[in-house]
Amino acid sequence: MPLLELSGVTKDYQLGKTTVRALRGLDLEIRSGEVVAIMGPSGSGKSTLMHILGALDRPTKGNALIDASDLAEMKERQLVTLRGKRIGFVFQTFNLIQTLSAQRNVELPMIFQGVSGGERHRRASALLEKVGLGDRVRHRPNELSGGERQRVAIARALANDPEIILADEPTGNLDTETGNAILALLKNLSAQDGKTVILVTHDPEAAEIADRTVRLRDGCVQFDSAGGVA
Amino acid sequence: MFFEFLRLAGQSIAHRKLRSWLTIIGVVIGIAAVVGLMTIGYGFQKTIDDQVSQVFGVDTFVVVNEGSFGGGPHGGSADEYALDLALLNSVEGVKVAAALRERTGFVQGQPDENGERLQGFLPVLGLSPELLTDFESFTGELEVMPSGRLFEPGDVEVAILDYEISQRLRVGVGDTVLVAGDGSNELNLTIIGIMAPPEEDASEREGGFGASFSSSSEGDTISVPYDTMDLLWGPADDVLVTLVRTEPGYDVDEVADRAEETLNDQGSEIMTITYGDISNQIGTITNVINMVLAGIAAISLLVGGVGVMNTMFTSVLERTKEIGVMKAVGAKNSHVLSIFLIESGMMGFVGGVVGSVFGGGLAAGLTWLLNQSESFMGGELLFVLRWDLIAFTLLGSFAIGALAGFFPALRASRLPVVDALRYE
Repeated sequence: MPLLELSGVTKDYQLGKTTVRALRGLDLEIRSGEVVAIMGPSGSGKSTLMHILGALDRPTKGNALIDASDLAEMKERQLVTLRGKRIGFVFQTFNLIQTLSAQRNVELPMIFQGVSGGERHRRASALLEKVGLGDRVRHRPNELSGGERQRVAIARALANDPEIILADEPTGNLDTETGNAILALLKNLSAQDGKTVILVTHDPEAAEIADRTVRLRDGCVQFDSAGGVA
Repeated sequence: MFFEFLRLAGQSIAHRKLRSWLTIIGVVIGIAAVVGLMTIGYGFQKTIDDQVSQVFGVDTFVVVNEGSFGGGPHGGSADEYALDLALLNSVEGVKVAAALRERTGFVQGQPDENGERLQGFLPVLGLSPELLTDFESFTGELEVMPSGRLFEPGDVEVAILDYEISQRLRVGVGDTVLVAGDGSNELNLTIIGIMAPPEEDASEREGGFGASFSSSSEGDTISVPYDTMDLLWGPADDVLVTLVRTEPGYDVDEVADRAEETLNDQGSEIMTITYGDISNQIGTITNVINMVLAGIAAISLLVGGVGVMNTMFTSVLERTKEIGVMKAVGAKNSHVLSIFLIESGMMGFVGGVVGSVFGGGLAAGLTWLLNQSESFMGGELLFVLRWDLIAFTLLGSFAIGALAGFFPALRASRLPVVDALRYE
């Protein structure tokens, strides 16, 4: 059974008075442990798809199932829990809280899950160690380089040990070398820890680490390396 | 989780130091005004209350004419009333009662060189000897000139004269004056003392309530023992005031009520005033003043609150993306609401702490200043820092902060996560 299953997903946005249809009856299945690159030009619906995969948003029509539970039938509270426990986000612009140290940024998702102070501290330290920032725990985001910030963001995404890592253009703001290191780190999460990693990206190099590439166009899957042209 | 949110809020405040402090200053001014003005108000209240209690004590009450307290037709002047002092003394719980009555009587002095006697109608004051021995706090310290003395129990046909009238009547200690009362009642009273002439700065002396009892300011009063008045004018129907001390262990208000009832049943038209009654009156007045002061100060506090609200709205706008991130990593709406409420509440609270310190200092300084320039109602203006006021203020300042932050926080918590994440 797929971990994520989208069937006939349509998503409309209200942009002023006009309705924008970002996804048009999209079908997609993602299995546990896969590394999937979702590619496509601007406006193809990548971000919208990511929002739905990350339980940040619900489809207008169609079904989006995460582990066989339909997002449409879940209460807002359940979506929050889902995001908090089972999904980790990595953003293009890192989106770290500027006022908090690296350590505290990683602890943040655990705070919302009510993890005790000691356990939080231990886990955050271990995760920062894992992404190679063991000596940077006390630094604020503005004292870190772009690559380091993205590593903190990855450590944060892993804080509650989620099954799914959703990375939205994780290398978009990084130079090639740093970007590659980040991609290797993400790849490792699948290889070593069995995480499902979903990369939304423009970057062909990013797609290279993926087991599977899904290409979107105009809100539909145009190409899926696992299943050919949809 | 509360402490974690407290820490998050604190870090956010600390990150925006200048703006946070400017916001907090708005609260500080409001709180300082409230605490300062109310503390001064409490100081006034305590000062007045203390002075009244010094005169009254907790075991004493006053008997006056029914209409003379609290704005009767005579505007609070001491009206005369009939009194059975022996009956009052027999009321359960009464330890000692002392009264003061006044009449105008025909008085004749000693002859001069030409054998002529000065005579005329003069005020005659009848005092219970206990008034001098047991109620000194009311009468003030009465002084007779050397060689004389004050009344003692058992004195009957004696008198104490004001200095001035003793000169005019040409009498001294040991001489007699003739006082005529109703009908054919008349007595030759032996003078046992002459009141010391009033000093120039007499008004500065603590006169207590006693000063207002007698009309002796003109220096022409003849004082006699209370019982002597009976011999001249019969049973008392001309009492100005009666002071009553209760037995230890009795509730002064109960005894006062009992005395009032007993006397009024016998046809007197009197009312009793205890320290509690006066204290209540003072409390009512000073509370109104305090409320007005606090109300004025509260306006500046309101302005401070609006400042907090403005800052929080700006903060929410600025941190829209941060809110989106928090929600993406698992923050519930209630978490976001709490964090922002705690943040604005903390600004209020810090403003409250600093404001209380400033307000207390302000009140202390003003009290000191007032005491430098002039004595306050014959005493020191007291500085009363009430801890319940401080506790209430701190709680209130947190509440004002949280209240001001409520709508911004609500807006923050309701931001749709996708929109918040997209916000640039």
